[in-house]
Amino acid sequence: MTGWHVDDETLRHYVERTDSMAEGASVEQHLLTCAQCRARVNTAATAVDSTMVDLAAVWDRTRDAVEVPRPSVFERLLRAAGIPAHEARLVAAASAFRGVWLVGVAAVLAFAAVAAMIGHARGLWLFLAVAPVAPCLVVAFSYDRRWDPALEPEMVTPYPALRLILLRTIAVLAVALPAVLLLGLFVPGEAPFAWLLPAVGFVAVVLAASTWVSPLNAAMAVSTVWLLTVWRLAARSASPTAVLQPRTQVAFLVLAAASFATFLVRRRHLHQLRPWR
Amino acid sequence: MEGPRSDETLLVGVAERDIGAFRVLYERHAGWLALRLARRCNDRDLVADAVQDTFVAVWQKPRGFRGDGDIAAWLWGIAIRRLVSRLRRRTDVAAMFESTATTPAAEDQVLLSVEHGDLGAALARLSPEMRAVIQAVVLDGLSAKEAAQLLHVPVSSVKTRLYRAKAQLRATLAEGLS
Amino acid sequence: MTASISLRGVGRTFGATRALADVDLDLEPGVIGLLGPNGAGKTTLLRVLATALPPSQGKVRVLGRDPEVPADRTEIRRRLGYLPQEIGFPRGFTAFGFVDYIALLKEWTQPPARHAEVRRVLDQVGLSSAATKRIRAMSSGQRRRVALAQALLGSPPMLILDEPTTGVDPEQRVTLRAVLAELARTSIVVLSTHQTEDVAALCERVIVLDRGRVRYDGQVTELVRQAAGRVWLADRPDPAATVSWRTGTGRYRNVAAHARDGVEHVEPSLEDAYLLLRGGLPDSRPTEEVAS
Repeated sequence: MTGWHVDDETLRHYVERTDSMAEGASVEQHLLTCAQCRARVNTAATAVDSTMVDLAAVWDRTRDAVEVPRPSVFERLLRAAGIPAHEARLVAAASAFRGVWLVGVAAVLAFAAVAAMIGHARGLWLFLAVAPVAPCLVVAFSYDRRWDPALEPEMVTPYPALRLILLRTIAVLAVALPAVLLLGLFVPGEAPFAWLLPAVGFVAVVLAASTWVSPLNAAMAVSTVWLLTVWRLAARSASPTAVLQPRTQVAFLVLAAASFATFLVRRRHLHQLRPWR
Repeated sequence: MEGPRSDETLLVGVAERDIGAFRVLYERHAGWLALRLARRCNDRDLVADAVQDTFVAVWQKPRGFRGDGDIAAWLWGIAIRRLVSRLRRRTDVAAMFESTATTPAAEDQVLLSVEHGDLGAALARLSPEMRAVIQAVVLDGLSAKEAAQLLHVPVSSVKTRLYRAKAQLRATLAEGLS
Repeated sequence: MTASISLRGVGRTFGATRALADVDLDLEPGVIGLLGPNGAGKTTLLRVLATALPPSQGKVRVLGRDPEVPADRTEIRRRLGYLPQEIGFPRGFTAFGFVDYIALLKEWTQPPARHAEVRRVLDQVGLSSAATKRIRAMSSGQRRRVALAQALLGSPPMLILDEPTTGVDPEQRVTLRAVLAELARTSIVVLSTHQTEDVAALCERVIVLDRGRVRYDGQVTELVRQAAGRVWLADRPDPAATVSWRTGTGRYRNVAAHARDGVEHVEPSLEDAYLLLRGGLPDSRPTEEVAS
């Protein structure tokens, strides 16, 4: 590099802004290529200019901008909805735990929706078999210990375990339900929302059952029972619209309410993690 | 112990998400960048924001530096454009280019021509508006559009002033030669 | 509220497996090492201490409170830092992001204080520069340190660490020992490890577990003294020794329960004493009970 450096007086003029345009331009061009003079300018500036920008404060803000996780769209929506900032962060962070199996479930659902569009009646049965259990499977995944080892340090924090699980559930459902809803619109049939109450019902059942057994086992059991039921109904050539009957819908609502009540009553048992091998 | 890391090495560190390297880069460059920006805009908070924007931009795209030229020049290019961007939203603040020295006195003019040759004297004889345009376009490397945003004048004014400034400089220098 | 933990007759079974049995302990501030083979019950004991698991029998009192009572349990957890044996990190989290998340769960609601605390603990484990790195892209030693950092949040009066130095390189281990030693002035630090050097360097007190029972509970120096005169070097492995192995110098180090004369005795290390203790236990072969 060049051996020429800015002399002290010119440097001082530059920092104090008593230089001429030509001087300033010359110094500035030189600074672009000379690390040594840049360092001298840095030192001189802090010593001389009291109106200098507070570089330490700017560093703090820059570091925050770079280090602290940015709020996601979801988090900002929650904040806008009135949820306190740190709770919104928790729900949004919890949603990161959904992971890759959401994609898997979405794929299965998409397949079912396509099948429903093409295959008509049989396709509709397929969709009806899969759609109500998809959300409860996803919820179970989100806090089953085998699938989320990060759960262990979380569970011994003072934050109420119940609240954490509910937050996770909300975070998961906030994506799962609209996704299934969207897919449901492509399914031929009168009411694309007929499966919503059953889905909610099954989620509540899984939550309640997770006070006895692991969430995933509960979700598997529920899914199996439902699939068998649907299979039997389809075999008997009953109409898929049987699910749409107000009676069935009310039954699911009752199931949901009763399960949720059970969950709340037995919530003490949630904190006891099942050991895994 | 290893010696101080080069700016290129620090940038590689930034690309690898090493915030320690990022901090060193900041400590090396934030000072002179802020100073140079402050000579174009006397709103201290705007300058601070522009410095912050600059380094956040560096963090987000460290590979934006193509390896051509000095990193300092690349940083300045980002910084001045961030300042322009900030200034664009604020109509109450305009860029200024005046150093605290006003048009130099006669003896100083002589001195200037001795130290910097005729060019220094010729520059000093330009009006402040023309000097501002020369600084923005020729020295800071802004486009006419960016200079217009910086100075809060129409693009046509920038072009006109630049044309006139160059013409005057040529004339003054030609005078000096003859 | 006293800074102490006490266990009386604590046992824990999983189905047919007895992971812990008749554990009586009193823990005070300081660093307490937990040694034992795999399946000895170390992780189970640590989980019980960390209120992650209730005991099947016996009583536990942590910091003057009963973990069976929900309100007390929350109070205990406010003063607890726990590093589990295995920890998984969710996709896409940086070191800062993960520790910040746990800090949220630990009730650090105000961002400026929380961020400052996250930086402080990351600095303690030597990860300041790596705060913005994705955890998935880190080495296992670095990940262990992230996990330790979340346990250190708030400098808790009780720190339960399950194998904190596994996979951590020697230089970092020295730094971590310093951090733990500093904390142990006022906090109870219980750490389990396979490395006797960590216990020797850091702990005054050591508890040896075997098959769910406490086999030794006392000063490290006392345990080492038990092996005095019982460790010697020879050119060949000695058949009379309980344990013998080839050292780096090519000679054999022998450890036996009965002191021998006329051999080249050496100063016992904690590892020797530990092996001696293990060798002297009934049924010292690995068991089918795989509770951990």
